[in-house]
Amino acid sequence: MLDPTQTLDVALAGESVRLDARRALYWPRRRTLIVADVHLGKDSVFRRAGVAVPSGSTGDDLARLAALLLDHGAERLLVLGDLFHARLVADEPWFADMDRFRRQHASLRIDVVRGNHDRIDGVPAAWQLNWREEPADEPPFVLMHDATAPRSITTGYALGGHLHPVLNLTSTRDRLRLPVFWLRQDHAVLPSFGGFTGGHPIEAVDGDRVIGIAGDRLMALPNRRR
Amino acid sequence: MHTLAMPTIADVETWYAARNWRVFEFQRQCWAAYAAGQSGLIHAPTGAGKTLAAWIAALLQSRGADEPLRVLWITPMRALAADTAAGLQQASDALGAGWSVELRTGDTGSAARARQRRQMPQALVTTPESLSLLLSYADLIPQFTGLHAVIIDEWHELLGSKRGVQTELCLSRLRALAPSLRTWGLSATLGNLEQAARVLVGVDRTAQIVAGVSPKHTVIETLLPPAIQRFPWAGHLGLPQLPQVIEALNAACSSLVFTNTRAQAERWFDAIGAALPDWPIGLHHGSLDAGMRRDVEAGIKTGALRAVVATSSLDLGVDFTPVDQVIQIGGPKGVARLLQRAGRSGHQPGQTSRIVCVPTMALELAEFAAARRAAGAGLIEARTPLRHCLDVLAQHVVTLALTSSLSADQLRAEINGTHAYHGLGDAEWAWVLDFVMRGGSALAAYPQYRKVVERDGLLHVDDATLARRHRMAVGTIVSDSMMRVSYQRGASLGSVEESFVARLKPGDGFFFAGRRVALVRVRDMVAYVKPATGSSVIPRWMGGRMPLSSELAGVVRELLAEGDHTDAASPELTALQPLLSVQRRWSALPEPGLLLVERMRSREGHHWFVYPMAGRHVHEGLSALLAYRLAQRAPLTCSFSVNDYGFELLARTLPDLDADGLRALLSTDRLEHDLPASINASEMAKRRFREIARIAGLVFDGYPGSGGKTVKQIQASSGLIYDVLARYDPDNRLTAQALREALEQQLDYQRLRDSLQQMQSEQIRLIDVDRLTPLGFPLWADRLNQHRVSSEGVSERVARMLEELEAAAQSEPAATSTTRRRRVSSRA
Repeated sequence: MLDPTQTLDVALAGESVRLDARRALYWPRRRTLIVADVHLGKDSVFRRAGVAVPSGSTGDDLARLAALLLDHGAERLLVLGDLFHARLVADEPWFADMDRFRRQHASLRIDVVRGNHDRIDGVPAAWQLNWREEPADEPPFVLMHDATAPRSITTGYALGGHLHPVLNLTSTRDRLRLPVFWLRQDHAVLPSFGGFTGGHPIEAVDGDRVIGIAGDRLMALPNRRR
Repeated sequence: MHTLAMPTIADVETWYAARNWRVFEFQRQCWAAYAAGQSGLIHAPTGAGKTLAAWIAALLQSRGADEPLRVLWITPMRALAADTAAGLQQASDALGAGWSVELRTGDTGSAARARQRRQMPQALVTTPESLSLLLSYADLIPQFTGLHAVIIDEWHELLGSKRGVQTELCLSRLRALAPSLRTWGLSATLGNLEQAARVLVGVDRTAQIVAGVSPKHTVIETLLPPAIQRFPWAGHLGLPQLPQVIEALNAACSSLVFTNTRAQAERWFDAIGAALPDWPIGLHHGSLDAGMRRDVEAGIKTGALRAVVATSSLDLGVDFTPVDQVIQIGGPKGVARLLQRAGRSGHQPGQTSRIVCVPTMALELAEFAAARRAAGAGLIEARTPLRHCLDVLAQHVVTLALTSSLSADQLRAEINGTHAYHGLGDAEWAWVLDFVMRGGSALAAYPQYRKVVERDGLLHVDDATLARRHRMAVGTIVSDSMMRVSYQRGASLGSVEESFVARLKPGDGFFFAGRRVALVRVRDMVAYVKPATGSSVIPRWMGGRMPLSSELAGVVRELLAEGDHTDAASPELTALQPLLSVQRRWSALPEPGLLLVERMRSREGHHWFVYPMAGRHVHEGLSALLAYRLAQRAPLTCSFSVNDYGFELLARTLPDLDADGLRALLSTDRLEHDLPASINASEMAKRRFREIARIAGLVFDGYPGSGGKTVKQIQASSGLIYDVLARYDPDNRLTAQALREALEQQLDYQRLRDSLQQMQSEQIRLIDVDRLTPLGFPLWADRLNQHRVSSEGVSERVARMLEELEAAAQSEPAATSTTRRRRVSSRA
């Protein structure tokens, strides 16, 4: 069940979309759940390189994705790049989680705008991923990995990820660092979806809308430095 | 070529005589002990002949240029290693020992390294980090077996830190390779010399403690501010005292002006330069370009500079002829440090050295008086050696596994001889092995993880990439990410914290390397600047401010308690009286048997100022505990900050408690639960984890030019790794170590417990004040390292902050420059 306090409806380029505090965006007209920067398998890349990071985050990310698809009734999953953290190595233990996810969502269409971390070779065909090169035109949106990058399609409102946007909110008594949806004049940047991803502070300016993820709530945040 | 006859003590005496030196008794004592194969610790002030005491002891056993590696000379100061090596070589040549002394640090070029891999010199000057790295090469092992001695310079600087622990581990390895190895340490005066000596030589050996020439008599004076009423209650720069400092500078031929922070040094250099435009003066601090620092050091040595403004970068190592006068700007922080600095003045051993102290805020007056009393009583700070640091041990295990020459049991036997790991539990040792071999504990082994493997009974690292990356990351020094500061056309000025540059916009001016510059742009981790005029900010370097030592804090308490009762009150305390009477009038003075608590309401919320006068570490624990317990009673976000005299709690509302209610919050009941919980809640452990993650190989500092894509793919912040560990491997011992370090090092658990117990019988005096008192003001104004504890949900906290932002925006016109820092901000 969708918890209404977890979502916020906004209009982007005249199109109505629903932001979800679980770091996703739902596009009702196209019945599409949009996420960015999932970085599946990041923990195992670390382990293979001799950095002792425990496993678990990839499985949790897939479980969260499954819950979001169900709650919104999505028929399509659109990933705005960096679905994977690095080139896949055969038979990673987490492949079983992904296989299961795919079996449980057999009819789901999965489109992936290729991000800078994604390597297509080595991805099991059974996962049926439709790779899209950026910019992919889906009016009124232009789908990108990095929505701030120069693009050949100059019209349209770009949706992207890549930046892992966070905002540091500071007051006399308190300080918090929140992942945000950064909604700008001609593009929007989604927060990074993966549980094992960091964030980069953004520099918001007048005219931007910044929607922060405060635990399981979404809250509009001030958009400029004071 | 020199004759290869072994130098004799007579040769040494001749050489000394030719230079008008005399042999000190403690030097003969060292030479005899060394000749007898003994180890030991030599302690004496800087410039008292410690270096030659140890080095000549080694040269007296030399047999010429055909010998293998005999002496390792460890220095904590990589920047000074070249000077040290040159000095040692000179003595060897003068005595005809025929030894060659070479350098091996991170700066050593590849040709020299390759030559040393084939054939080491007789003596090698190196750092703990480079030594650790040398121990990772299997082919070097035979070269260490003929070692006579390891000499550790500035041992007091290493003791008490993880670099010291790393040094202990290296020593344990060398003792295993060369069983008759001597260990000699050179140290400034310490409060725990015997312990320092025991740690140096390891648990099953004995150490000679050799006292150098008796400390010089030190006079500690204070430049009293002309009008205490107008003297700042807080602040760090102290520039109102400039005219008196200029007067003092004019009265001497050469002066060293020590400051506590790099920011202070920049500002004072600028101010002195403006007041004495014709003077040759220099600036010396750790962020400056090495070439600029060397020029200044040379200027001190030759006497070309009349004054040098310096930070602790000049505390160690650099040997130069004493100056006429030493000036200390800002609180002394520690007795040992103040004496060390004072020792830079006064020409002959045994002569009086003088230090002129310049307070930058009122309470520092009491600190200087306390330093004088403590120095008189010989109350010198101790440096407590660290124990059972699993991060350093994990790094060491991987380092030695790179040689494929040791079994796990051998390794354990070696480290058991160190003070740092003697008596390490089986479970802890097993966990460290599991960590490097399996990632997590045996039960929760991490899939696909591999680093160290066990084969044929020996430890190995099979993967060449892992081996290379480990070697690049050996060491325990964790620094903030630094950014080079450079003029657009080439000349490098030094480096500054990336976080400082991140706050600047192009065009913003700042003080750096004694100049006013303006940021042009940032590219490829270089901040390009151009000369500028007009208003400037000073980089607020991290880590520059240090707490008062607990020894000194204790004496300050004593002095304040004595107040004006003492007939022979010091000039500083007399000068402080008007301020103390304001405190008494508006509130009260803390005194033994009484806990003073001031409550105040302001636009910021409710404040409690609590003055246990128990030192910063105890205050950190007390404030975290109090904030945590308050947050347990009702949803609350409470921030707190501490100084050496007390702490401040701040929240939107704080409960209206009476003395008994407050006493209940300070109870020792459930302390063993509440204190760790408060440390976790305030993220103090997470902050400690940063260093641990780096040492244990969980995060990598950027390696310029050597990173490439694979390193980028495995970079994550220590905070992110901490969160992942806390979630998916709650029994991880490195996160547990972070908690333990916070408890033991940061909070001083035992003293905290004693303080709480004492408060149960003390009178608690709650006073409502309507403005900041002299004691409260510094706490309010210097909210550094503010921590917070919250029992509210994130969304409630955001809602409150947004409320506050809204309120601040409405009262915008009222905000002036003095309240600028206090204002609410949302900073992206």
